[in-house]
Amino acid sequence: MRKRTLHRTLRGFWWLTLLFLYLPLAVVVLFSFNASNSAASFTGVSLRWYRRLLSNDVILSAFSNSMVLAVVSSVIALVIGCLIGYGMYRHRHRKLGWLIVLIYLPIVLPDIVFGISEMAFFVQVNRLTGLFQPGLGTMVIAHVTFQIPFVALIVYSRFVGLDPTLFEAATDLYATPAKRVLHFMLPTLKPALISAFFLSFTLSVDDFVISFFTSGPESATLPIYIWSAIKKGVSPEINAIASLMIGAVAIAAVFSMLVNRRQT
Amino acid sequence: MNENVTEEISETSTQRPAVALKQEQSANHDASSIEMRRLHKRFGRDTVALDGVDLTIQAGEFFTLLGPSGCGKTTLLRILAGLEAPDDGSLVIGGKDITETPPHKRSVNTVFQSYALFPHLSVRDNLAFGLKMRGVPAEQRLQKVAEIAQFIKLGQLVERRVDQLSGGQRQRIALARALICEPAVLLLDEPLSALDAGLRSQLQVELKRVQKRLGMTFVFVTHDQDEAMVMSDRIAVLDGGNIQQVGTPAEVYERPATAFVARFMGHENLYAITASQDNWVETSLGRLLLAPSEQTSAQEGWLLIRPETLELGQDQPEGYNCLQGVVKERLYRGSRIEYRLTVGDITLMAVASNLGQRIHHVGDQVTIGVCPEDLVRVAF
Repeated sequence: MRKRTLHRTLRGFWWLTLLFLYLPLAVVVLFSFNASNSAASFTGVSLRWYRRLLSNDVILSAFSNSMVLAVVSSVIALVIGCLIGYGMYRHRHRKLGWLIVLIYLPIVLPDIVFGISEMAFFVQVNRLTGLFQPGLGTMVIAHVTFQIPFVALIVYSRFVGLDPTLFEAATDLYATPAKRVLHFMLPTLKPALISAFFLSFTLSVDDFVISFFTSGPESATLPIYIWSAIKKGVSPEINAIASLMIGAVAIAAVFSMLVNRRQT
Repeated sequence: MNENVTEEISETSTQRPAVALKQEQSANHDASSIEMRRLHKRFGRDTVALDGVDLTIQAGEFFTLLGPSGCGKTTLLRILAGLEAPDDGSLVIGGKDITETPPHKRSVNTVFQSYALFPHLSVRDNLAFGLKMRGVPAEQRLQKVAEIAQFIKLGQLVERRVDQLSGGQRQRIALARALICEPAVLLLDEPLSALDAGLRSQLQVELKRVQKRLGMTFVFVTHDQDEAMVMSDRIAVLDGGNIQQVGTPAEVYERPATAFVARFMGHENLYAITASQDNWVETSLGRLLLAPSEQTSAQEGWLLIRPETLELGQDQPEGYNCLQGVVKERLYRGSRIEYRLTVGDITLMAVASNLGQRIHHVGDQVTIGVCPEDLVRVAF
């Protein structure tokens, strides 16, 4: 009897957790379809705010900035992180303790510290050399920097999970070093690379703090736009943007899950 | 030199049924002999894996490297594959020095202990991997896969995914994947150790049959002396990075060169020789007569008595050494009966074929007859 009560309580907690996680999201999605601009009462279904969104040039440019930043930084981070992950795997028998810590430090470093130091760095370099004018370029560099550890970690754990003799088997079966990368390592890594890309992409789209400190006047991303717009109060347009982002993230998550399921 | 080898291989690898391949291989016998000269390898400062190994393996031979773990057998195999570089010494295959040749340029393939099948590829693509890396066109690859599947009797396994295979099936796929490239030398790193006993003995026979049909040089690594004896043409017993003995299974089993080899081959009846004169030796069992051929100038060493050569019973033929013993333990094994005897306080093992003769019981006093011809002197 007591066991049954415990199970009921746990199940209650489960639903409560889901409620707290998803109710706010549901409210945002619901009100994005609100016919009136009231944030308190739902008066009817309309696509008004989505239409308004699509005719707002500032939002569209913020959206395109976000996408360009996310795709470019994720691709660069994927290449560099992949190389680092492989390097860590190849030299895993050496004692690399502090080096590994240095690579992972950005993961635990508060974003605000990271953002401010990136900004200070870019400003100094810009003052001395004229390079690194704040804008999309500096944002890409900053984003790549914090995405790399995640990619490296994912690639490294994929390699560690493999039978090490597979590398030798490829060589033994006449694969030159280049062919070994092409026909063994990349295909084996594919699911890991896809997850790493989606994770980097999501981190980049989601990031506000670091973007805020490294952006220039022309390079506002969606989170930066939302932040500045919200100072004037929550408009239903913001709900529409948020709903679109929720949708995009959900699609990406499902896609990434499908890819992983197919591979394993 | 690699170009030559590659040429030969790709020549044979085009549209030739497995049977014709046999003759091709025998004609090229010399291309697959192996010579190892003064191979040294150490790991770190203190671990000596190979301590100057000299070994010649004939073309077409089923050669086994036998020894306990850490004896250097796997290191030697990895040096043959090119996965490890020797610190010193040279390696010649088919008359060409390949000490510095990287693994992907050696006409050598390996069946790994873990099988190392690529998880991202189907069985078919696993089999075709080596051919693809060599640039064999897709059509010919398919044909070769079909041929090898027939030769190794893979049947429908080719259509499966790697994760749908059992251990024995993986082993056969790994063998087929290595054979399909028709290497000069095939290396096998304890490929049967992960399988259960029944499957294992079945695959031992099959592997031996494949090797005979192809006439290919097989270098097989194992720590199991029974496996080594069943399969090999010749065996090299290794210990501490040194070769202790090279010989046929019968030579290694019946006339072990050292006490280590004798013990490793499963012999328990080893007795220190304390003194010897002509063909008489003094041991803890007493004074024993040896065959005249065993007479050496060496005063000391070990005396080996193989348990299956002992005669138990009252009537011993003339000229036999006779010992009085007591049966301490008896193991009935069906086809044979094992006795643990004591002579004084020294233990002696005896094995008798179960031919319906008298069975001795625990506690029985028995006369043990030892034929001088069956006694073997073993060096330290």
